[in-house]
Amino acid sequence: MKKFIILILKFSIFLLVFYSILIIFWGRFAPAILRPNINFTYRAYGFTYSRLNEINNFKNIDILFLGSSHAYRGFDTRIFNNAGLKSFNLGSSSQTPIQTEILLKRYLDSLNPKMILFEVSPLTFSTDGVESTLDIISNDKNDLNSIKLALNQNNLKIYNTLFYSYFHSIYRDLFDEKKYAEDIKKGNDIYISGGYVEKQFKLFKYVNYPEIKWEFNEIQFSALQRIIELVNKRNIKLILIQAPSTSNFYNAHTNNLEFDDRISNYGIYFNFNAISKLDDSLHFYDAHHLNQKGVEILDNDIINLIFKQKFIIRE
Amino acid sequence: MLFNSIDFAIFLPIVFLLYWFVTNKNLKLQNLLIVVSSYVFYGWWDWRFLALIFFSTLIDYLIGVKLLKEEREKKRKALLWTSIIINLGFLGFFKYYNFFIENFTTAFSFFGTKIQANSLNIILPVGISFYTFQTLSYSIDVYYKKLAPTKDFIAFTAFVSFFPQLVAGPIERATNLLPQFYKKRTFDYTKAIDGMRQILWGLFKKMVIADNCAEYANIIFNNSDNYNGSTLFLGALFFTFQIYGDFSGYSDIAIGTSRLFGFDLKRNFAFPYFSRDIAEFWRRWHISLSTWFRDYLYIPLGGSRGGTWISVRNIFIIFIVSGFWHGANWTFIVWGVLNALYFFPLLLLNKNRQHIGIVAQGKHFPTLREFFQIIITFGLTVFAWIFFRAENIGHAFNYISEIFSISTFSLPDFKEIYRAYVTLGLVAFFMMLEWFGRDHEFAIEKLMINRSRILRWSFYSFIIFMIIMFAQTEETPFIYFQF
Repeated sequence: MKKFIILILKFSIFLLVFYSILIIFWGRFAPAILRPNINFTYRAYGFTYSRLNEINNFKNIDILFLGSSHAYRGFDTRIFNNAGLKSFNLGSSSQTPIQTEILLKRYLDSLNPKMILFEVSPLTFSTDGVESTLDIISNDKNDLNSIKLALNQNNLKIYNTLFYSYFHSIYRDLFDEKKYAEDIKKGNDIYISGGYVEKQFKLFKYVNYPEIKWEFNEIQFSALQRIIELVNKRNIKLILIQAPSTSNFYNAHTNNLEFDDRISNYGIYFNFNAISKLDDSLHFYDAHHLNQKGVEILDNDIINLIFKQKFIIRE
Repeated sequence: MLFNSIDFAIFLPIVFLLYWFVTNKNLKLQNLLIVVSSYVFYGWWDWRFLALIFFSTLIDYLIGVKLLKEEREKKRKALLWTSIIINLGFLGFFKYYNFFIENFTTAFSFFGTKIQANSLNIILPVGISFYTFQTLSYSIDVYYKKLAPTKDFIAFTAFVSFFPQLVAGPIERATNLLPQFYKKRTFDYTKAIDGMRQILWGLFKKMVIADNCAEYANIIFNNSDNYNGSTLFLGALFFTFQIYGDFSGYSDIAIGTSRLFGFDLKRNFAFPYFSRDIAEFWRRWHISLSTWFRDYLYIPLGGSRGGTWISVRNIFIIFIVSGFWHGANWTFIVWGVLNALYFFPLLLLNKNRQHIGIVAQGKHFPTLREFFQIIITFGLTVFAWIFFRAENIGHAFNYISEIFSISTFSLPDFKEIYRAYVTLGLVAFFMMLEWFGRDHEFAIEKLMINRSRILRWSFYSFIIFMIIMFAQTEETPFIYFQF
């Protein structure tokens, strides 16, 4: 028996070394189709790399935006800056409260915002958040929080990608890859300093959606609760916002009111589907993302709200 | 609890350590640990059905004890029938109630009579077909005095609920497994290492082959109206490897796990896709079920003793019953009939036992004749699996008619086709290892065994790496859980 246990331990060590070596080569050289469980999205989409690369240039801001693509494609920091509100957009692809919590732990103190606008979409409360975790561990520095995140989500893709990401960060430092900036234009997207991503102007073609119910993932609500506690400790005002979607998409979901009710219990909440006057065809480029014209309307509505409700006093 | 889950990865070492370090001095305590851990294992899925297993165990235990004392034949027969009726009654209610109700309603309405019968929303207890057959074999063997009934209730409960094979077999005979609970088990290093190897191979079969094939088989079968014949053929191929990887993978993990605890379970698969005719296939596929039907149905019906036509009748009966055992759907019955039809010419020509040994034993490649025999048998099996996988008979016929249409001569085409080709590459790698390991219990049993430790460990680590790299990220249940 003793011999068996010793052998298992020895083999485990061997396996760890074998895995470490192979995953580095596999991740680096194998085509994507042969590495389905390493999803290293370094500089891939959503400009998370560029956003996190310049985050240290922003200190003591007025507004910090958080959330998924609804946030980084919906809150144009230029519009807020023009209104005298110094802002930074820390939204990222499919960001759910689980990842928001990690990003806040990492950057809240250095950004030191007066107020946080957190885009809460039922979509992000209905997912497991794996896609966003992959985006963050691929593009951000990885610390103990990344390991905690991986353990909480317990997904093979996350473990592999995290491991490969550790290797990649060493490689990046060794070869000083940081000096090569990410292209600020990718396809129809342009990265704007401050975290916003502008989509080339496009109109949306009318689509009908079948009726469907949001299936909420309770771990996202627990993460939201922890975020609120974290923010409250620092006396920062937190406003929860649901960005607008096209009416067909929004109304196809039968339990929007349930979501509104639940989210209102967590603090100040505005659902802009009921506030902003937007047209499905003219102000969106897809079912739930605004085009630049829509962004301008939404952002001006938010600015008016901020000053009207005196969340920030106009100087 | 699934074998391919984190829960099991934690559960197994805990039970293993308790078994060999805490309870190893006392056989009764060791058996009790097996019972408790088996009930935890099963209850992890749905604790409510533990009562059903316990009741089934209690009934068969008591009937066994009664049979020991009872000498009057009439009474003994009554006791046996009590066991059969209770066991098959549970199985019939949970598995077949809705099937019979729906078919009776349809049959009566066909003759113009409308009957009001409500189907029930019944949850099928996982593994009910497996443990029912296991306990039935005990009662039958005790009745025929092939086995002395046990008075040790804990050993008997451990035999019925033994967690490695509780939910999907191999279906063990009391004559093989029960006596192993009476004897003190000593830790056998070689057996444990072998067990680990077999678990590893089982996990590879399930997580790399079966689950990846399942992804495409599901896409193609669930949307079969949208695809051309060659894509549907590819879908049938994917299902063929899915079901083999899934079920034989489960059996490998079950047998390997049992070895860690000092038990020997029956072999359940012996490289069936290298069979040269359908009779050989059925000697190599789900062996524990085939032999169960042979011993408890085919032979009592007269087997081959009454001449060719009695033999043919009996073969049709066991294949139909076997199909029905798999599920309450006409598709399974047609699948059974189809296999009986494949068997028919072999039986008429008295050639059903011509391929007993291992194909091309001692050689690297089969002869051309053997190769064509394997391909034909494999093709017939793929064809039959279409019925097994289809939603209903109509679906199966539509599927097959498209395969036999002109569209089969165009290239397969669906959204995930390039990823599907990678899966085909994995299947080719898998089948290559299976071919080179076909004269052993499982493919990697002796593979690399004579190489240096570093090479051997690199090979096992590579298999683990493949699992890590290609496994689906969501835990997927085994197909045979639903039977």
